[in-house]
Amino acid sequence: MIERLRAIVRTRSIGGWVMTLAIYALALTWLYPFAWMVAASLKPTAQIYTTGLFEGDFTLENFRFLFATADKLDRPFLQALAISAVVTLSVTASVLLSSAFIAFALARLRFPGRGLFGSFLLLQMVVPTTMFILPLFVLVKQLGLLNSLGALILPSMMSGWGIYMMSQSFRSMPEDYFDAARLDGAGLWQTVMKVVVPLNKSIIAIVALFTFTGTWDNFLWPLIVISDVERMPLSVLLATFSKQYGGYAGPVMAGAVLQTLPLVLLFVLFRRHFLQGMSLTLK
Amino acid sequence: MGLAIAGVYLLFAAIFWAYPFFWLAKLSVTQWRFFDEPVFTGAQNLVTSVQDPQFLQALWNVLRFLAMYVPIALGGALLVAFGLQHIGRGKAFIALCFLLSNVSSGVALSLVFTKIFSSTGPLNSLIFDWTGIRIPWTNHPTLAMLAIALVVAWKFVGYYGLILYSGLLAVPKEIYDAARLDHASPLTRLVRITLPMINPQLMMVLVFAILVSFGLFTEPFLITGGGPGDSTVTPQMMIYETAFRRLQPSHAAMMSILVSLISYLLVVLARRLFERKVVLT
Repeated sequence: MIERLRAIVRTRSIGGWVMTLAIYALALTWLYPFAWMVAASLKPTAQIYTTGLFEGDFTLENFRFLFATADKLDRPFLQALAISAVVTLSVTASVLLSSAFIAFALARLRFPGRGLFGSFLLLQMVVPTTMFILPLFVLVKQLGLLNSLGALILPSMMSGWGIYMMSQSFRSMPEDYFDAARLDGAGLWQTVMKVVVPLNKSIIAIVALFTFTGTWDNFLWPLIVISDVERMPLSVLLATFSKQYGGYAGPVMAGAVLQTLPLVLLFVLFRRHFLQGMSLTLK
Repeated sequence: MGLAIAGVYLLFAAIFWAYPFFWLAKLSVTQWRFFDEPVFTGAQNLVTSVQDPQFLQALWNVLRFLAMYVPIALGGALLVAFGLQHIGRGKAFIALCFLLSNVSSGVALSLVFTKIFSSTGPLNSLIFDWTGIRIPWTNHPTLAMLAIALVVAWKFVGYYGLILYSGLLAVPKEIYDAARLDHASPLTRLVRITLPMINPQLMMVLVFAILVSFGLFTEPFLITGGGPGDSTVTPQMMIYETAFRRLQPSHAAMMSILVSLISYLLVVLARRLFERKVVLT
């Protein structure tokens, strides 16, 4: 055991080990805001600024406040959490399903105007999306969707970026798979779901992760189209709560934890696909 | 069949992309207040926008932000990239530590940083213990912008670092061996070999940084609210304010077109100035 440790120590010079330690220290420093957020969410508001990171009387009171008392302040957090979940899950599911099929068509099927369709996707990605927020608001208003879940879901149901990313990956698949699928008499649905999807998990995981994160954490768009607190997703409700009741630092941090938790969990679950999808081998 | 599938997307894009595009163009040359009929006014919105001092300030703020953000983010990203190169085992762990900030909530972390930067917050306590002074992060125009640059850099350094790291992987080892034979110092090797060799990745990071700076909204909106005195107002905040607070969507439409054009021009300019072809002979 000690021999092995010695062998490991000897792989680097002293300077090299100092560097290694510094890098680990810096990486852990990067996580400090998360640690501070979690610690603050578990302390009484009065202690947040006066105690060290791991000191204080830890309690779940802030979360209880958020779910029970905040309702009386016209801030229905539980409902906002449900709205965020419904919106994010439907957008992600819809983007994944539509992107898989459209990307399959773009990468693998022949049809007139295919090249043009590809160029159109590229054009869409070049034009900044922030330019569209105002006219998209006008459209949603004309459709009578203001203050509804439709305003949050419908405009994001398909994604040119998702289609493009997936089609790049589908294009590099060997033709043999599709010959085999054809021989077995597989239809479109089976070809995509049974052949294409299982072989492209990494890219699909990346599109899923970014779509989920982008929708869950979207702030500007729901801020514009939702003004009714009963329909607000968590991101906006949390911001308005913090603006109006900034003194409640503990509950605000508890809300921040809620807003962050699903994203962190998803990232930790998908970490391997994520790094793979960035076409890196980190070993 | 392919056409039918593509058609579904084209229909979607016609409603949620092409139609808004048409509205944006129409709004930019008309006067409209959300409820009445748009009245054609020609270049009037353009004239009003370029004379709006707050809008000009917002554009200037983008440059102020870039002047702080690009050195911090690029320097940090280089550190991360070299760090990853140096680490043997545990690369994935380091990369994930730096990436977590990139995929987590901008809204939540903006609120966290508001507290961290506050006058009694942990950052100021630390600085106070060491130096005996407190830094008024959000009360000073330059410091407020710096605070936002730091938060955004914290968020993106891991991602940029991975991009640069992928460039470092592709640099042939033989070049370094040859440089060592010529007794090139580490600094010379960095400036003469490494940085030119990863120019494509550095350009990618620079372009991303420019696009991020023009799209900035959540962080300044929640951390400084644009203040003190418009010093951290961004173009996105300006468009939001103009359209939904001042209720002048026509001006806001013109502004968003101008902002997109300027960001595009800045990207082109950056590529003209800094892009080099990597040629190995």
